Amino acid sequence: MNNSWKSYKTDGFYDELIAPSGNPRQAARRAINLLQSLPEEEMTARRAAADIAISEMGISFTVYTEGGNIDRAWPFDIIPRVIPEQEWQQVSAGLAQRGRALNCFIDDIYNQQKILADGIVPAEIVLESPNYKPQCAGVSPRYGVWAHVCGSDLVRDGKGKFYVLEDNLRVPSGVSYMLENREITKRVLPELFENYSILPVDDYPSRLHTTLASLSPRDQKRPSIVVLTPGIYNSAYFEHAYLAHGMGAELVEGSDLFVADDDIVYMRTVDGPLRVDVIYRRVDDEFIDPEVFREDSQLGVPGMMRAWKAGNVAIANAPGSGVADDKVVYAYVPEMIRYYLNEEPLLASVPTFLCTRKKERDYVLANLDKLVVKPANESGGYGLMVGPHATKATHRKFARLIEENPRNYIAQPTLALSTAPTYIDDTVQPRHLDLRPFILQGKQSWVTPGGLTRVALVKGSLVVNSSQGGGSKDTWIVGKNR
Amino acid sequence: MTMLSRVAERLFWMARYLERAEDTARLTSAYTHLIMDLPVGTDLGWQSLIHIMDADEQFLVNHRAYNEQNVLKFVIADELNPASIRFALKAARENMRTTRDVLPEETWEHVNELYLYSEEMAEKSVGRRNRYAFLEQIITRCQMINGLILTTIPRDHAYRFIKLGHLLERSDMTTRVIDVGTGAILTRQAPNEAIDPLLWGYLLQALSAMGAYRRAIGPQLEATPVVDFLFKETTLPRSLKFCLTGIRDELKPLLNHEASLRLLDQAQRKLSRFNAQDLSLEEIHLFIDEFQLILNQLSRGFSSAWFRPEES
Repeated sequence: MNNSWKSYKTDGFYDELIAPSGNPRQAARRAINLLQSLPEEEMTARRAAADIAISEMGISFTVYTEGGNIDRAWPFDIIPRVIPEQEWQQVSAGLAQRGRALNCFIDDIYNQQKILADGIVPAEIVLESPNYKPQCAGVSPRYGVWAHVCGSDLVRDGKGKFYVLEDNLRVPSGVSYMLENREITKRVLPELFENYSILPVDDYPSRLHTTLASLSPRDQKRPSIVVLTPGIYNSAYFEHAYLAHGMGAELVEGSDLFVADDDIVYMRTVDGPLRVDVIYRRVDDEFIDPEVFREDSQLGVPGMMRAWKAGNVAIANAPGSGVADDKVVYAYVPEMIRYYLNEEPLLASVPTFLCTRKKERDYVLANLDKLVVKPANESGGYGLMVGPHATKATHRKFARLIEENPRNYIAQPTLALSTAPTYIDDTVQPRHLDLRPFILQGKQSWVTPGGLTRVALVKGSLVVNSSQGGGSKDTWIVGKNR
Repeated sequence: MTMLSRVAERLFWMARYLERAEDTARLTSAYTHLIMDLPVGTDLGWQSLIHIMDADEQFLVNHRAYNEQNVLKFVIADELNPASIRFALKAARENMRTTRDVLPEETWEHVNELYLYSEEMAEKSVGRRNRYAFLEQIITRCQMINGLILTTIPRDHAYRFIKLGHLLERSDMTTRVIDVGTGAILTRQAPNEAIDPLLWGYLLQALSAMGAYRRAIGPQLEATPVVDFLFKETTLPRSLKFCLTGIRDELKPLLNHEASLRLLDQAQRKLSRFNAQDLSLEEIHLFIDEFQLILNQLSRGFSSAWFRPEES
């Protein structure tokens, strides 16, 4: 029996596995009972087994530091997070709704711009954003879908209610870790899976393949699909290789592709040039085509945009999708849902103060010690300030940044993020976490059952990004038992 | 089945480096045994091991004396020597890391584990006490990976380029192993009946060919029949002839193979005219040098036909 479970305290936060009474939540009961019954040495041994599995499977991510790039093993916590299926269905429906509205928005912005004309979203916010790419105007991708893969970050507040924190529409990553986390849990805690009906996640690569294949410009039984990676030194290279392998697609780098005079994309193979139908690109817009975007890019393919505009190749996510991936635009998503779908949002957004509006900016500046301030365009947890945890000097620095460039900052109340028991220094301790599910959209749409749970391994920390010392957990959506 | 040029190149080199690690381990192991069996005062030094790898220049950057410690560290654990076991495994793993999407997942896991093992143990295995166990591990694990490849990969382009890499490196290594024999004997004025059979015996063992030699030729270990056997035996998987035939089999189904096949013809003709009995050891040594040049040309030919056609 592991004693640290007895002294586990939820401290007023919503805990994913333990109710305020100290008893396990219903869906987690069997898992907790089993984990509690394991002696401390056994837990330590399982943890060590997980570390070995991670090292042998070569699951790694890269951190960029001043001393060069470090390939780190994936930090994984062996205690899974459990969410009841009934609750998840609501969330899943909300995510699908959100994905539809975001795609309507992107398609509208690059074509009629009705939402701007109707004054629902201020035109300058959209058209002056660096994520708005005028080079994409007038293009109509199949099914009106631009963001084929969307990773939305969810958190729970102190009462356990889910909120969408942000939508990642450019090149969201993390899905391979979701799949590997399940694989590791199966290896090191196989007995947990007895008597549980856990929704499987491992069909993600085939779902992704179906989604991408539905975009092919040619009517072919097996369209030629490639995953375009910036290469081995990208922090998500492991994932690019993983997904290519899972889909049976080619993993290509920019230099493997070329666009001929016929505006068709080809890959260089040992049998000569071969036509490409769909590019699942994991390279940012700015780097995909030196003819149109950054001229110095070595990662892209000259002419790719030409081929895309001519309708000879599909690109996922479509260039320019990032226009909806902006923390200022985020504040308008509930309005978009009402405007395009004529529905009420099923999932809440976090109240957001826009520093472009004087009244809200004044409020933000007066309450920096209570708010989380985020740059509108960064990802990976860079350049963000958690007010209650920051020093006075940092508050002053952000006050200056906001006044200099109000368009670039938003603020949100500091949420009391939910926690879950996490195995730290041979004891079980509460740590804050979030959840990134993935929404696929092509001819049809699909939401992953669960997603990638990221956990802040530092006590009290709210920053879960792997580049900032975060770890992850396997995430279970569990049905009612037979 | 699609095969990217870049991926074909990396698979080819992944296989070459894996083969290099295994063969270097075999050779080092056999050589260590040989040295231990030789009477004190025999002038067969550790230097030969560096010679046959053509690595003197690299070796002399950091070392002065060709003593056991220096030579073995260079061959087993040197991080910068492209012929060292550690370097080869690191390079194999790096090539595989960028092509793991085309191979069965467990292949990557085994290569990665082998790399981790070598990173941890190579430095500690330079001394005689741990050396044997380390080399055995390298050989066994390489064979396991080869077995895995042999029994799981579809016979398509991926397999083809892996096999080409293995066979080309193995051909090269077999010629180098024979060169140890001729080279070592050359440094002496006359054949030494006490030592030469030992030497040829260990070289056969380095290629796992001892049993086959005894059954095919007999127990007498002399330069001429051993060299002929290792060069020309049709049924021996590590003979030069066998490797070249294998290369031909893999080249045939590839498009744009004409130039490579012409070079291969040249190599095969040269080999079929070879007859150890007619040649002095010095001439055999020269023959090996010429042959290695052809193998290098063949490797460059693969590059311009399939890996980087736009650069040639």
